[in-house]
Amino acid sequence: MNEAHETRRADGTGTARAAAPAPRPPRLTMRGIVKRFPGTRALDHAELTVRGGETHCLLGENGAGKSTLMKVLAGSHQPDEGEILIDGERVSLSSPQQGLAAGIAVIYQELDLVPDLTVAQNLLLGRAPTRGPIVRGRRRIELARAAIARVGGDFPVTAKVRDLPIAAQQLTAIAKALTSDARIIVMDEPSATLGEEDLRKVFALVRSLTAEGRSVIYISHRMDEVMEIGDRATVLRDGRTVAVRELAETTAAELVSDMIGESRELVGTVDRPRPEGPPLLEIRSVHREGLIDVQGIEVRAGEVVGLAGLGGAGRTTLLRSLFGDGHAAVSLRLAGAEVRLHSPAAAVRAGLALVPESRKEQGLMLGLSVGRNAGIASLGRPPWLAPRRAGRRASADALSGLGVRHASADQLVGQLSGGNQQKVVLAKWISRGGLRVLLLDEPTRGLDVGAKADLYRQVRKLADEGVAVLLASSELTELTANTDLVWVLYEGRNVACFDPRTTAERDIAHTVITGTSPDSGATP
Amino acid sequence: MTTPSSGPKTAWQAAPSAAGTGPGGSGPAEAARALLRGRGAELVVKFNLVLVFLVLCAVASVLAPEFLTTRNLSNLLQQSALTGIVAIGMTLVVLTSGIDLSVGSVAAFGGMTVALLMDHDMNYVLAMLISLAAGAGFGAIMGGLSAYLTLPAFMTTLAGLTAIRGLAYLLSDGEPVNADQSHTFQLIGGGFIGTIPIAGLIFLGVTILAALVLRGTTFGEYVYAVGSNKEAARLSGLPVRGVITAVFAISGALAALSGVLLTSRLTIGQPTAFDGLELDAIAAVVLGGTNLFGGRGGVLGTFVAVLLLSVVRNLCNLMGLDSFFQMVVTGLILVVALILNVTIEKRGSRA
Repeated sequence: MNEAHETRRADGTGTARAAAPAPRPPRLTMRGIVKRFPGTRALDHAELTVRGGETHCLLGENGAGKSTLMKVLAGSHQPDEGEILIDGERVSLSSPQQGLAAGIAVIYQELDLVPDLTVAQNLLLGRAPTRGPIVRGRRRIELARAAIARVGGDFPVTAKVRDLPIAAQQLTAIAKALTSDARIIVMDEPSATLGEEDLRKVFALVRSLTAEGRSVIYISHRMDEVMEIGDRATVLRDGRTVAVRELAETTAAELVSDMIGESRELVGTVDRPRPEGPPLLEIRSVHREGLIDVQGIEVRAGEVVGLAGLGGAGRTTLLRSLFGDGHAAVSLRLAGAEVRLHSPAAAVRAGLALVPESRKEQGLMLGLSVGRNAGIASLGRPPWLAPRRAGRRASADALSGLGVRHASADQLVGQLSGGNQQKVVLAKWISRGGLRVLLLDEPTRGLDVGAKADLYRQVRKLADEGVAVLLASSELTELTANTDLVWVLYEGRNVACFDPRTTAERDIAHTVITGTSPDSGATP
Repeated sequence: MTTPSSGPKTAWQAAPSAAGTGPGGSGPAEAARALLRGRGAELVVKFNLVLVFLVLCAVASVLAPEFLTTRNLSNLLQQSALTGIVAIGMTLVVLTSGIDLSVGSVAAFGGMTVALLMDHDMNYVLAMLISLAAGAGFGAIMGGLSAYLTLPAFMTTLAGLTAIRGLAYLLSDGEPVNADQSHTFQLIGGGFIGTIPIAGLIFLGVTILAALVLRGTTFGEYVYAVGSNKEAARLSGLPVRGVITAVFAISGALAALSGVLLTSRLTIGQPTAFDGLELDAIAAVVLGGTNLFGGRGGVLGTFVAVLLLSVVRNLCNLMGLDSFFQMVVTGLILVVALILNVTIEKRGSRA
């Protein structure tokens, strides 16, 4: 916060927006917002000031606190400290309804539309024009048509949302936000799902909204968009506001460097050399049109390769595809031999293991005991008898080797801490034996610092035993400290790889955000 | 969640002793409280049920002196057996978080095929095997459709309920079929060893076998895993679809077995038999403490629940209450059991 530097530009150099004279309070002020979650502080005295009639961009890396700040603004999260002022008046937003009533409309990435209702029904959900108890269907369609035309959509409002292309759904969501009389409109990465042409429509709309005096908060990772549409930008890092900039006087490079921060000149702390030898896992190509196109990632036995990238860059898709679970076409070699894995079961048989993104929904059977969870993957062999005893015996070493803190093998796995739960998932694969390739998807999400370090130690130990490890994480610092090589995924492609021993973390971060190397630093 | 060192374990250790002391023990309330913690919840549901069952039997023997006669008890077991066998298959299905609505129709079909085949001079053993295979086949088709095409089992088995009932009628144009060719065959469903009905022994055997499979085989463990979290099971490399198909096949085979036993006892194959059997079976499964969303429960609870429901019916009969009244009582018991289940589960998860 103390490093925040605000540059104000002189009135009159702006675009179409009316230059507000100083005494008028800003449209929105969020001051000293603190939001704690168990184990972390998502927002740490974040600040945000948005003027009437401006397009204000909100920038930051994964986990910088953008989404949390917007959820606080929408009223769906309650801040632990701080205050929110709208037009100079203090407001309390303790529910999304109150947020709406205060004139705040948020268009989330996961669109909150009802897929089986029509566009018109969605737009006027709960506010349909009625005559007595009867909905005036034709009137509703007229109103909806006007709303869709306003956002530049040209699809029928009588179509079901489910049947529309994603871009049209996005426009519907925007139109819906506008049917309420919102003064502050938040758009969360609309470009993630929109093509160039539709993005033009959204931009035109943003301009007409701000010309009316409304404020738009625009969240995006793409610098070119930000520079084009934004008046000012607020940059968040680690839950703090680190910069507020007039975009007319700022370069994209400056913004990126705000996002990355100065303190991360550090080169990774991996102190051992990259393991030698031929690759154990060769990803020749993982391809699906418009979703993922990854080629030429190799992992040697004993090597830990990291996957960095923004949310939606394709890390999870890549790992799931490798694990035989996805619709991408995969060409894969394992220890030099071509393999085709058409299901997770086949992948497991081939010696692959996945620690999935969500341990509670995909990794564990929460209603079963620690022993049964840890043993479940080891039972698929004769004599097919006494599974609980067999599973317990197979997993005992793994559980104690990983240091899983549990009362007994009979304890329900749901009663363990997050770190210990994640270790149980790992134990499941170690117990099975024959592990060759370990895929981990955000394995440290929600773990505290100690548990994270512990997990990485265990992963490293597995690598030292000859396992090839591919690890996706949003925490770049974790990747540079714990991996032998970091691949950066950007919009579904692997764009560059870095040796964390010789590369500054900020250079990798730059590639993660922009998709291009800071200075041709790619050294595959 | 802080230090998982002692709490749940002691609760678990307390369980057997609480079961031992029973209702007359020194501190049943204390034991019950201990049981409510951790994984004791499951056990409480089971032992509660046994307790209720015993109390009910005591009440029954007081209210109706003829309740405790050998003849009545053996009759009771005879009557429980058919629903019971089907309920055991249903338990496996429900443990995987599925449901099988087709069991009544499959049972009728099984009863009809065995009668028809024997009517065509087939050996009764072979006829029975074919009948069971047909039941397993139907189950595998419905379960397979549900597993491989991700159709809801509720719908595939509802379709089965209608279609297979239709097939059962088509077999003989809706007419009953004679099945009194073999005396040995009649013994299977209607015979007694001493005073114990053979069908009741089969029910007991099926229960024990299912319990052994669930506890003692990899397949049984997979059933629990699939029911507890299908996605996690799949991502652990388990043959989830195969397991689902298999439990439906088992349910179908057991339903057909039930049909065969009825045909054997009545010496006639009835296409109209077993109407509404699926609801009785599901009721017993749920009353027996198996979670409708899968992953928790077992066949022993179902076994006791089947007997309990039979005793209620039997008691109503002995007291001269008509069947309408029985239906009301059965419904009320189910509601109370469910409320109890939910309450205990909530407490268990809070601990």
